[in-house]
Amino acid sequence: MEGEKNKEENPLKVNRRHFFSQLSVGIGSLALGSLLIPDLFKNQSLSTTGITELGIPHFAPKAKRIIYLFQAGAPSQLETFDHKPTLRKRMGEDLPESIRNGQRLTGMTSGQDKFPLMPPAIGFQQHGKSGQWISDYFPHIAKIADEICIVKSLHTEAINHDPAITFFQTGSQISGRPSMGSWMSYGLGNENKNLPSFVVLTSRGKGNSQGLYSKLWSSGFLDSKHQGVLLRSGKDPVLYLNDPDGITRSEKRHLLDKVSSLNKMHQVETGDDEIESRIAQYEMAYRMQMSVPDVMDISKEPEDIIKLYGEDCQVPGTYAANALQARRLAENGVRFIQLYHQGWDQHGNLPNEMAGQAKDVDKASAALVLDLKQRGMLEDTLVIWGGEFGRTNYCQGKFDPSNYGRDHHPRAFSIWMAGGGVKPGISYGETDEFGYNIIKDPVHINDFHATLMHAMGLDHEQLTYKYQGRRFRLTDVAGTVINDLLT
Amino acid sequence: MPKDSYSSWFNYWVLGLSVFLIFCFVFEDYIQLPLLLSWVGKWHPLVLHFPIVLLLGLAVLNLLKKEIPPILFKVTIFLTLVTAISGFFLATSASDKGDLLSRHQWLGTILALLSVIWHTFKAEVRAKKFLANSIPLLIILLVLGTGHYGGMVTHGEDFLALPKKEGYENIPENPLVYQDIVRRILNQHCISCHNSNKKKGGLLMTSLKELEAGGDGGPAIIPFNNQESEMIRRLKLPKEDEEHMPPEGKKTPSSLEIDILEEWVALGASDTLRFYDLKETEPLALLIHELMTPAAVAKWVDLNVVADTTISRLNTDYLTINRISNLSNALVVNAYLPPHYKANQILKLHPIIENIIELDLSGLPLGEAEIGMVAQGKNIERLELDGTPLTDNQLDTLTVLGELRLLKVYNTKLGDKSLTLFEKFKNLKQLYLWNTEISAKGLENLSKKSSSLRIDQGIEEPYITFFSTTDTLDLSNKE
Repeated sequence: MEGEKNKEENPLKVNRRHFFSQLSVGIGSLALGSLLIPDLFKNQSLSTTGITELGIPHFAPKAKRIIYLFQAGAPSQLETFDHKPTLRKRMGEDLPESIRNGQRLTGMTSGQDKFPLMPPAIGFQQHGKSGQWISDYFPHIAKIADEICIVKSLHTEAINHDPAITFFQTGSQISGRPSMGSWMSYGLGNENKNLPSFVVLTSRGKGNSQGLYSKLWSSGFLDSKHQGVLLRSGKDPVLYLNDPDGITRSEKRHLLDKVSSLNKMHQVETGDDEIESRIAQYEMAYRMQMSVPDVMDISKEPEDIIKLYGEDCQVPGTYAANALQARRLAENGVRFIQLYHQGWDQHGNLPNEMAGQAKDVDKASAALVLDLKQRGMLEDTLVIWGGEFGRTNYCQGKFDPSNYGRDHHPRAFSIWMAGGGVKPGISYGETDEFGYNIIKDPVHINDFHATLMHAMGLDHEQLTYKYQGRRFRLTDVAGTVINDLLT
Repeated sequence: MPKDSYSSWFNYWVLGLSVFLIFCFVFEDYIQLPLLLSWVGKWHPLVLHFPIVLLLGLAVLNLLKKEIPPILFKVTIFLTLVTAISGFFLATSASDKGDLLSRHQWLGTILALLSVIWHTFKAEVRAKKFLANSIPLLIILLVLGTGHYGGMVTHGEDFLALPKKEGYENIPENPLVYQDIVRRILNQHCISCHNSNKKKGGLLMTSLKELEAGGDGGPAIIPFNNQESEMIRRLKLPKEDEEHMPPEGKKTPSSLEIDILEEWVALGASDTLRFYDLKETEPLALLIHELMTPAAVAKWVDLNVVADTTISRLNTDYLTINRISNLSNALVVNAYLPPHYKANQILKLHPIIENIIELDLSGLPLGEAEIGMVAQGKNIERLELDGTPLTDNQLDTLTVLGELRLLKVYNTKLGDKSLTLFEKFKNLKQLYLWNTEISAKGLENLSKKSSSLRIDQGIEEPYITFFSTTDTLDLSNKE
């Protein structure tokens, strides 16, 4: 009673008895509230909204699959899609320091005392109704100028191949994170359960090459079933997929059933989820024994298709063959098809090597877009062509306009995309007159990833995986969807 | 004693409910309500009227220096808390929490807590003249703000606006770009300040002539010239810019709407231009098409509910069934050719056939029965039958598919008899038709006749010729 009276006079004058009894009401209310959170004391994700259910897009997608024509080694933007007449006018002049502005260089040119501006050894023309500038190295891609969206303002932080390509693939310069194909597989699942959802095809040009490692298509900390599967050229596209001589398919079935029951016992014992995916992969491999040879067999492709991609496409292991293969895989419901073509690292002898590389990829890349289009697949297949960074506008090594090299350049480079909800026939972003810095609409690699995921119906902020105590995303803690690229 | 114990019970209740309210506020995202409490939430729209009246009444009494009966004060506080908490219960059932709802919740919570504080410290508040006036005033403002946002949540954002507004519904099939598209964009965003009553900046925007005449800043539009068209320039300024239009606080047009205006001016700002006059690849055509396409997801809300278990039961190694997006009942189905095909693989889709929006059966040896079942898929918008043994007669049974927009029938044995059938599809917009037995002449006639149907007849001849005769420049062998 005394307390009540005190309290009436001054609510902050509380004696111990009142303090405790009020505290119990307070804590009791909290406890009551906590009853409304179903999984509060369970060790699992707090998300109960179901927004991030795996295997289903977060919203209706524009693209169902991606064919990524990765040009490993970094093709020069100045000899492909970024037309800079100023370089010719000021040929041989030193790159102004106000433009370079402290950009760190690789060890290959940091020792040079001069950075003479070097114009491309090839002409540029405008093509199509859209009037996009495309260099004469690519007469076939020029034919599809109105189908493609050229992004001239990509930029990255890495200045060397391995970190740069790892960044492109995984969203981090340090290896170990899942590849973007693995993220798509994780977020969207398989369309065709008889083929992996992430497939890799490699080819190599005659130009200066940099290594490719399986870490680039690794699933990192994601379930190993999301790993990219490398399809080799030749008789055995997937190693050890074929049954040994004398083993019939039904014997194989018996074997698998037995192995799987043993594996299940082991899983009950250890509770390791990886065993589950191991079982699933054995099963998929069994089905792939039937489906892969079918997909890889191009003998039934009509002659005009062969002509379109170029005769090379009949030679297994070439870029053209891989491009045709990519279309067949896309038709068969593979979500993410990644081609790598090596040989774009032109530190020297650029004009010649570039021509050779272009010869490898130009016709087949354009053919792929046309072929997808006639099948009505271009509207839900996103094709991307590009490397891991750009190249310097100044000459590396001896100054010789007919035989020069270019060093790595992270601040601006060009790629193109087609189909899959990307605006056709536009150029996005701009570089300065030297092609060195971006002056309009920069696209960071994180933004690029966010945009790809958006096209595929995934919210890059929602698709996460909890590992080592925190939730990881392909875009980590950055990335904005570039809506202006999307239809 | 009885009075005191009643008063202390009341204090406990107020404390308990306040703590509970704060808890709800902080952990709202994680709360999942039992059914009974969800039901309590449904009473929110009813009980909320009591605190509105009571709080306003108390505040006015207080401002008029009248004594507030303690019991009335207590009842008010209690009802305010109950209202706020029931509001949170109701909000958990909202599927997508928008800005309006968040603001309503913030204001409501602050209001409830402020009134609790007011009641608890009423003696102190009364003693200080500044507080005695400002708290009731603040309460009145909060009541109005909360109520207004609440009203916007339930009755729509413009529930207090004068009845008018034209949306993008009922745009004719082949709209006049100016009259049916541009006009509506301007009506939504510009007309309210640039009409004969207001005429801000000397600019009228009610007709094309007035736009070209412009205002104090020069012509609003100059045909073919976006750079010097004042309207476009201002639309594209950064939002922070003084000259940006619409001004701060007004709803800005979407980037789609701005793009349309821009392309329209670039093409000459004509008032006779029609949608079908535009080439399909023209950016303006694409933009308008996008504006006219209703938000995809909304279209499919009426579909029957399909359980996850049904979907997983029907999924097999060679048949992939998936929701088009999370929580949607619209389904995408892809079938692949198994080693031994049986019609049943497809026929078992029957229970969910009306939920299928996209169906890919390409390359399967389909028979009469399967086609018959596909014909029942009245919501199918996209159908892929390329590489199947589809016959002209079977195609005829499919013409009942009224929602079908895209049809792929390349690599089939369709003959000239099918030519008349394509017109029977009411909504067909895109047709992939090549490598069939249809004569070249028939195809030509078909594409001439149907203006709204886009027919892809394979890669055009010039491309094939160019690709098969031209090699990419080869300098590498030059040396």
